[in-house]
Amino acid sequence: MTDISVQVDHVSKRFRMYHERNQSLKSAIMRGRRSVHEDFWALKDVSFEVPTGSTFGLIGSNGSGKSTLLKCLAKIYYPEKGSISHRGRIAALLEVGSGFHPELSGRENVFLNGSILGMTKKEVTRKFDEIVEFSGVEQFIDQPVKNYSSGMYVRLGFAIAINVDPDVLVVDEVLSVGDAEFQEKCSQKFVDFKAAGKTVILVSHSMTAVQEMCDSAAWLSHGELVSVGAAEPTIRAYLESLNSPSA
Amino acid sequence: MRYITEVLASRELLANLTLREIRGQYKRTIFGQLWSLVNPLATMLVYTIVFAFILRVSPPPGNPSGLNIFAVWLLCGLLPWTFFATVVQQGMGSIIANAGLVQKVYFSRIVLPLSTVGSVGYNWLFEMGVLLVVLAVCGSFVWPWIPLVLVVMVLLAIFAAGLALMLSVANVHFRDTQYLVSILMQIWMYLTPIIYPISLVEQQSQAHGGLFGSSITLLDIYRLNPLERFVSVFRQLLYDNTWPNIQDLVLCAVWACASIVIGVGVFRRSEKGLAEAL
Ligand SMILES: Nc1ncnc2c1ncn2[C@@H]1O[C@H](COP(=O)(O)OP(=O)(O)OP(=O)(O)O)[C@@H](O)[C@H]1O
Ligand SMILES: [Mg+2]
Repeated sequence: MTDISVQVDHVSKRFRMYHERNQSLKSAIMRGRRSVHEDFWALKDVSFEVPTGSTFGLIGSNGSGKSTLLKCLAKIYYPEKGSISHRGRIAALLEVGSGFHPELSGRENVFLNGSILGMTKKEVTRKFDEIVEFSGVEQFIDQPVKNYSSGMYVRLGFAIAINVDPDVLVVDEVLSVGDAEFQEKCSQKFVDFKAAGKTVILVSHSMTAVQEMCDSAAWLSHGELVSVGAAEPTIRAYLESLNSPSA
Repeated sequence: MRYITEVLASRELLANLTLREIRGQYKRTIFGQLWSLVNPLATMLVYTIVFAFILRVSPPPGNPSGLNIFAVWLLCGLLPWTFFATVVQQGMGSIIANAGLVQKVYFSRIVLPLSTVGSVGYNWLFEMGVLLVVLAVCGSFVWPWIPLVLVVMVLLAIFAAGLALMLSVANVHFRDTQYLVSILMQIWMYLTPIIYPISLVEQQSQAHGGLFGSSITLLDIYRLNPLERFVSVFRQLLYDNTWPNIQDLVLCAVWACASIVIGVGVFRRSEKGLAEAL
């Protein structure tokens, strides 16, 4: 039972903060060999393990490094120190529908976005009906997606991403979009995921959602891991720290 | 080697991104793909008027084809050049244009510049097809040379892809790159015998003789330009209907290999830092 699905091992991530916009040749030349930047550590020595088949929540205030950590998990950023290992295929939902082409129809976009997320054409064809059904935009599937309402856009994007069928699903605050019915559908999907023995790592600012869905949670503050453990006490500790104005 | 398998694994994505560009390009236009012909035709018209009628530039007739039409001669060099310049400029901006994707999804980033080569190449193929018909109508016996033309087209695409890869990375770090490159491309075009025959350069070169007391002539330096070789091979095949100069052909291949090896090498080294540098 205590199989480890994702292991985050002493991960630190640094961003370079440049004083002036560095993206011009002039500034690079003027600077010469001196580099005018400050290091900013968005993650400092974070370590935890996520067991297979569990749902794991990441909480913390704005700018505490949650999204950065997820991006490291998704191989979008690479940590300067430490390492992340995981079992099986990992899929990240950092922003839904980011690969949509506005002029193309919903159908064409399903295939395009599916392949961006790493699905083969066969897989997408097989799951096409399921994706369309889940998104609830059957009627408009042959319309260009620029005519979609923002909710429909997100629904379709989410439906594709959730059908990638990963072993580890990484989700960043996408639950808050869509109407109540769709949110209900999404939470149900997460429950199914868990039942199928898959691991979910999610970020949310809604403590009730974390409480409801997660087995364990980690609390990040200013890039540092404050505590990690069962969801309930971690959330309580986090909420208490918010209520008591401390240094 | 691992990198190559990774890129091969994303060939389906590459195909889909290319299709996205091609399908999205002429959506909601009445003439659709025909627009891709308008640009070279307009340029051809302008250059023909200015250079053939006003400046009286007259390239030697095709040997052995006997063709002697400035506009057709021009297109044989202009179409490859336009393809090359478009790939370099669009490929250079491809990472920035897809910043949203790069920052949100993991995939092999190299498919972005490469898909530009695919979509621009598709238009080029269409233009070259039309050129073939025009050549045939004008009396050029071009059909046996088509396979070799395709080979050289692939070589030029590889050469352009390598440059686009290098520049796309540079452009993420220094946005000046795109402005600098668009100026350089204009200069480069006039340094390539596209709208004037190389015989004019030969004359100048002979008049000056060896430079600085050496045996290196102006022409030798002029011919270091890789595009000069490509353009002359295309003209030999399409306009003259003859075997291309073997040295030119080999040099085209060498340039293509060098460019793609350096391009992929540079791209691979900086690929991981792209998301945060954007
Ligand atoms: N590309 C970047 N370059 C420089 N700094 C960055 C970059 N991305 C994030 N940061 C910094 O890293 C810190 C953590 O950001 P992150 O997006 O991970 O926060 P978060 O926990 O997701 O916050 P939120 O709850 O608001 O989503 C912030 O201070 C941010 O300014
Ligand atoms: Mg965030």
